[in-house]
Formats: sequence, structure tokens, C-alpha cells
Amino acid sequence: MKFFLIIFLLAIAKVFAQTDWVKWGKANYSYELPNYIERNNYSLDEKNWERNLLKVTADAYWIFISDVDGDNCSFNPTCSHFFVQSVKMTNIFQGTLMFFDRFTRDSDIFGKVGMYPRVKDGHFYDPPSLYLLDKNKINYFPPSAVVNN
Amino acid sequence: MRYFIFFCLFFNSLSLAQEALTNHSNLFSPTNVRKFADYLFTQRDYLRAIEEYQRYPSILENDTVNFKIGFAYSEIGHNQQAAEQFLNTSSKSIFFDLSKLEYLKSIFKENNFEKYRYTFENLKLKENYIYFQKAKELFYFSYLFSDECLPPKVKFLETFSSNQNEISKFYDWKTDPPYKSALTAVILSSIIPGAGKIYTEKYADGIIAFLATGILGYISYTDFKAAHRFRAWVFSALTAGFYGGNIYGSAASAFIFNAKIKFDFIESLKNFLEKNNYFIPKINF
Repeated sequence: MKFFLIIFLLAIAKVFAQTDWVKWGKANYSYELPNYIERNNYSLDEKNWERNLLKVTADAYWIFISDVDGDNCSFNPTCSHFFVQSVKMTNIFQGTLMFFDRFTRDSDIFGKVGMYPRVKDGHFYDPPSLYLLDKNKINYFPPSAVVNN
Repeated sequence: MRYFIFFCLFFNSLSLAQEALTNHSNLFSPTNVRKFADYLFTQRDYLRAIEEYQRYPSILENDTVNFKIGFAYSEIGHNQQAAEQFLNTSSKSIFFDLSKLEYLKSIFKENNFEKYRYTFENLKLKENYIYFQKAKELFYFSYLFSDECLPPKVKFLETFSSNQNEISKFYDWKTDPPYKSALTAVILSSIIPGAGKIYTEKYADGIIAFLATGILGYISYTDFKAAHRFRAWVFSALTAGFYGGNIYGSAASAFIFNAKIKFDFIESLKNFLEKNNYFIPKINF
């Protein structure tokens, strides 16, 4: 009887131990950061020569500088993406002016905290649509807001 | 004796367990569900309170419950459902008059001010209607949200029975908002780089723009002086870019500043209305 009980208890322990293994099994988490290079569209699909010229410049900047240097711009969209988007939304002249203005704001050594809303990953939200000089296209968010982009 | 005590305790626990089970079976009776829903309502757990109220048709026969459901919808921002709920209030209900007001409030909260005014005029509320004055206050207040012409200040303010000072400030803000002129910002930045940004209260951006344009301009000047023509032209182009970009950015900054003023104004109005419960008297349920 005693042996039977011991064997029975051991068998139960083994079964539950097995269940525990499943419960506390190794999870396959990935700590790999998303590849920011993939968000760049390097293709030349523009029909407008001005935009193609700009795209070549932007591609060269991404390939030779930005991709090597890393994801350092504190804004979303980044300055180079801002430039591309600005020109797409306006024209090369206005887009260039918008870029210079953005570059000045990006060079702000006094700090940008509390001046811009943020997107979820912590970057400052500053889309070109705010700078088109069209009050109907300005979708204002206060600096305290977190924007879903 | 020990066995006797043991059996007493054993059977006692069994009988108590049975009693608990009997009570448990009554937990979902309409009376208990209503009590639980009322509790959830007082805890401001409105969504679950509505679910509980709607569990039995017999509970929904009660006017107070129906009003509470509408109120709960309104509180969680389901304004359309709230409006439907208040609109279906029976004319025999004690909450009939208040439901009309809550109905108007639901339309107002949808930011559909034209519909509010149209409904207010078409509900044909009599001037002796107990909440006519409140509905009228909300009617006039709606002009502050829209881009339409405001009624004359005296006529506008005399509608409100209280908070006239605060509403007067809103009126002044609406008629003369502290906007910044894009043209002034452009002119200022053309004269002194960065001045337009400072005018639109972007002080750090203004200083940076001044330094960037000034330093690059100075480098360009010294390069021309030293006959480094290529370098001088590169820096001249950069100076021109920063100078032009700053002028453009100052105008854009004025637009954003004005958008901020408008946003803050609307937020202040909403906060004022929330604080004053949309001019509707609060009910202590």
C-alpha cells in the first residue's frame, strides 16, 4: 500500500511538473529594434523633374549620411522626410523655404521640450501641413498631447 | 463531547452554505439588479450601469431609470444615444421638462450648433417653460463656438443670469482675439532675422534664426573679402536660405499661433460649460 501511494504521488508530481514546464516555458521575445531604414522609399517614381532632382539629393543623404549615422532627428517626420513631403505638398521653392525653417527649429539649442506634441515613440510631432500658410489645414495639437501618427 | 462539537460545527456550516446559496439565486432578481445598477451609477461606472438597467424590461418602465440611462450616455460622450433616450421621455414623466433640456445639451455636445439653434426654435418651448431660460443661455452661448456674427454685447450678456463677467471676457476674446498678424511677422523678420519669430512668441527659434543668418552672413562676407569666391557663394546661398526660410517660417509661426489661440479659446469655453453643467441644474440622484 505504502509503495503504491509513493508511486501514485510521484506520478502526479511528474504530471504537474510537466504542466509547469509548459506554463513557464521560454517565450520567444524579440528585442530587435524596428529597422528605420525600411521606412525610406529610395525609388524614383516621380514624373516631375524637380521632384526627381530632390529625390536624388534626399536618397544620397539617406544612403551616405543618415543610414550610417543613425536615427538622430528628434522630429517626426525627420528633417529629410519633411523636405521631401514639403516639396510634394507645395513646390520646390516653397518646400525649400519650409526646410530651412525646419532646420532652424531643429537647431534649437534651448530645448524643444514643451514646445511640440509628441508621437508615441517620443519624437516631436511637426508635420509639413502646419506650415502651408493655410489655416484650414492646420490641425493644432497642444504640446501636452501624444499624437497617434 | 469532542465529536458532538465537531458534528455541530459541520452541520452548521452546511446549513449556512445552503442559506448563502438561496441568497445567491436572488442576486439577479430585478430588484437586486436595479440596486446594483444604481450603485454603478453613483460610482460613475456609467457604461456598466446602462447594461445592468437594460437587463430587464420591467426596470426600464421606470422614468427615473430612463432618465438615468440618458444621463449616463451623455456623461460618457455617447451624445446621439443620449439624445434619442431623452427624446423618448414620456410627457407624463416628472423628468419630461428636464429631458428636453438634456436633449438640447446632447445636440450641443455634438458641436452641431446650427442644429441646436434650429431645434431650440422648433421645439417651441414656451417662455413659461421651467427651463426656457437655461436653454436660451445655451442658445446664445453657441454663438461663441461658431464663426457666425455675434449678437450685440448688451443683448448677448443680458441673457445670462450668472457668470456675466466671465462670459463678457469670452465675448471680448471672440470679437477681438489676440491673434498675431502674419504680415507683421514677415516684415519684422525681413528687417531683423528672427524678430518675426519672437513676435509670435517663439523666442528660442528667433534667437537661433538670428544667429544662423548672422554667422553665415558674416562668414560669407569675410570669404568675399578674402577672395575665396566659391566658399563665399556657398555661404551666401546658405545665408539666403536661412534668411528666406526664417521669413517664411515667421508667417507660418503666426498661423500656428492663431490656431493655438483658437484652440485655447474653444477649450476654455468647454471647460466653462463643464464647470457650469451646460447651465443645467444638477440633480442629486
